[in-house]
Amino acid sequence: MLDVTNLEKVYTKSRFDRTPTFRLTADFTVENPGIVGMMGPNGSGKTTLFELITGSNAPTAGEVTVAGRNIHKVRTDQRDRLAIHYHQSYQVRHFRSFKPNALMEPAGSDYPVLHLFDEPQFNTQDGYIGFMLDFFRRLRDQGRLVFLCVHPNERFHLEIVEEICESFIFVNKGSVTPLPDYAAMLAHEPARAYLGDLLTERAA
Amino acid sequence: MALFEAQNLRKRFGARVVLENISLSIEDGTVHGIMGPNGAGKTTCFHVLTGHHAPDAGRITFAGRDITGKKPHQIARMGISRSFQIMNLFDDTVVIENVILALPEFRSSGLNPIRDVFGNTALIDRALAVLDQVGLAHRAWEKAAALPYGERRALEIAVALAPEPRIVFLDEPTSGLGTDATRALADLIRDLRNRYTICLIEHDMRFLFDLADRISVIHWGQVIDENTPANLRANKWVARSALGEVA
Repeated sequence: MLDVTNLEKVYTKSRFDRTPTFRLTADFTVENPGIVGMMGPNGSGKTTLFELITGSNAPTAGEVTVAGRNIHKVRTDQRDRLAIHYHQSYQVRHFRSFKPNALMEPAGSDYPVLHLFDEPQFNTQDGYIGFMLDFFRRLRDQGRLVFLCVHPNERFHLEIVEEICESFIFVNKGSVTPLPDYAAMLAHEPARAYLGDLLTERAA
Repeated sequence: MALFEAQNLRKRFGARVVLENISLSIEDGTVHGIMGPNGAGKTTCFHVLTGHHAPDAGRITFAGRDITGKKPHQIARMGISRSFQIMNLFDDTVVIENVILALPEFRSSGLNPIRDVFGNTALIDRALAVLDQVGLAHRAWEKAAALPYGERRALEIAVALAPEPRIVFLDEPTSGLGTDATRALADLIRDLRNRYTICLIEHDMRFLFDLADRISVIHWGQVIDENTPANLRANKWVARSALGEVA
């Protein structure tokens, strides 16, 4: 469903000074519908990875293929028919595309195959969590792939992650590590360091 | 067949996903609730359903007729009425004038409001009957600005009812109301449900769960759940929430 192949995004100091300031690299494949949790410290590249997967941000090298189509070759106005990014409200970045849509491919899909949720607000006060989790499951059962970017800062956030996510991707300083399940995520040292006190509190 | 139906509505504002594949079905004579967190797309959904925004894709039908892309005034004439989250009353006029201005008899005859309204007993009787439905007949001749907030909300509903709609869309009617005024508004809507089909957006979940026959939960511009209040309440995370504590 999703092939991220030798993907690289390099940010440089300026157009003239090409000294890299940030480098994100990723290479992974997701074969089947499912719910993938994405975690990592602030500034590690999670949102940039989402932007590369949905095609709004162009890679320096490599490819993202969604349902067999290279997302960066699909018409810009149809890319969200393949992969849709639900932004944090204050974090929509706009990128320019120089190639005219007429020279690009159609999406060939009417409803997104990939749904990427960027830090949905989980709040135990209002009860929406239950509806949100059921929605993620329904998307998966309809054959979609759901990415859930979460930034756990409460213990119940980990409960949610454990309940809903079937596999994980941990992003740390621009490096992307796929992990097959919750136990593997907890065994991954950078993830343990990131979750820190939440794990101890939970154990207590 | 449902009285009002929306199928696969999609709306974008630039790159921002506002509505993505919204489908709703409202049965005749029911109260249908719409709830969702801030920024979920509830009000935009209302704007699209009532013709204030045209959808980028999808179809809306009312009483079997396709109303997709029709203008708000065309939709209003078909029997669809709405209120807004921000109050839209003529504060400097008396209560009854607000209602008279919304009466189809007044609008179609092109009467001059200053000269003709108060000499036309038929219009006044009609407006008083509408005000009576929302319990405001005794306030008919007071300035709209002088009404307490809860009664202003009721007056807004009267304005929405004046054209004798079949369906009324109410956008957050409890917004800004205290406990007593919210209770009075719930009684009013319970009373109106026998005469109108009602669709309401509400933040106050307790209010909605008590009134609605079915509720659509909207988030990320999509219907993420749709069910009866009892079934929605059964969700374990709802039971854990502040709402669950009073259930």
